[in-house]
Amino acid sequence: MRRPPLVVVFVALLVIALGETAGAVISQLRPQIVRYAQARVEANPKPHGLAGSAEYDLEITARAVYSAEAGLSFFHTHAQGLGPLVIFASTVTASVVRWRWARGALYTLFALGAFFPLGYLAYAVAVLERGRDAGIELAEHYVLTPLGSAAIVGLVALAVLMVAGRRRGETA
Amino acid sequence: MTGPGPEVWRLPPLASLLAAILLIACAEVGGASMVRFKLDLTRWARSVMLARPVVHGLVGVRDVDEQVIDEALVKFDAGLRLFHLHAEGMGLVIIATTMTAATLVHSDAGRRALIALFTVGGAGYPFGYLLWSALIPFYGIQTGKTVAEWLVWIPFGGAAIVAAWWLAALLGARLVRRA
Repeated sequence: MRRPPLVVVFVALLVIALGETAGAVISQLRPQIVRYAQARVEANPKPHGLAGSAEYDLEITARAVYSAEAGLSFFHTHAQGLGPLVIFASTVTASVVRWRWARGALYTLFALGAFFPLGYLAYAVAVLERGRDAGIELAEHYVLTPLGSAAIVGLVALAVLMVAGRRRGETA
Repeated sequence: MTGPGPEVWRLPPLASLLAAILLIACAEVGGASMVRFKLDLTRWARSVMLARPVVHGLVGVRDVDEQVIDEALVKFDAGLRLFHLHAEGMGLVIIATTMTAATLVHSDAGRRALIALFTVGGAGYPFGYLLWSALIPFYGIQTGKTVAEWLVWIPFGGAAIVAAWWLAALLGARLVRRA
């Protein structure tokens, strides 16, 4: 099997390294992360809709902290999964796709898609700074959807190009 | 995946591939067993916990004890699920990273060290979750977690993290030199 360009392999490895490190950080520094998240919610009462009622505010804070923790956890799992996927998909691209321009486009899409897990980091931060719903919407709209779409379009295009290349080979 | 040219992937050592495949197989068996033996596992964990009331802080009041046991059972189940998830993922990470190290690291010593760290660290780390689950009924959630952390997660996970950053740094330096 042919090897994809070094930059694509580097991006995938960087994402794997970030994912592994995030897992260790989540596990070892959980109390500190929770305290930080609670402090950020407290510092942003308006976006979170804190009302000054202890019981209500506690529930709102707990929901926001849970969402931020979920964002970090999704970052860890998606980075571990997407890193190898980018290496394998771009290896198939390097080995099977005949057209140079198409390979370049696919490498670009996969390299962009490799950064999709970073959207969950943005998700965790945005939830705390902008409020739960607005933060999730922001991360989904500006980071998760574009980067995730790049990976999806890349995989679909790879499948189409594999079929096209095979048909062309058969007719030739 | 062997090949003579620099643009071709080189095969990682057979031991690394075998470790990765066995890890993925263990993950799949673990996932299937969780579903198939869920009730038996829960019953077993519950009986072990009830036999160790002091460890789990059981006081003999049903309402209080049930809550404590439920929490421990949720963690027991989470440990098994996390083993399944991490073993599936780390199997693929081992294949991808050892293949990269075998192909792109020129120094013999560095390549061998990286492949060993990825293989041993990646294959060992997920078993920490299995150990945690097994320890929960006997020693409680927190003690089980501490033991798993020091015996498995920190040494094996640390090895995989060091290897990942080392390899990323090597590739990054090569990209910078090329630029």
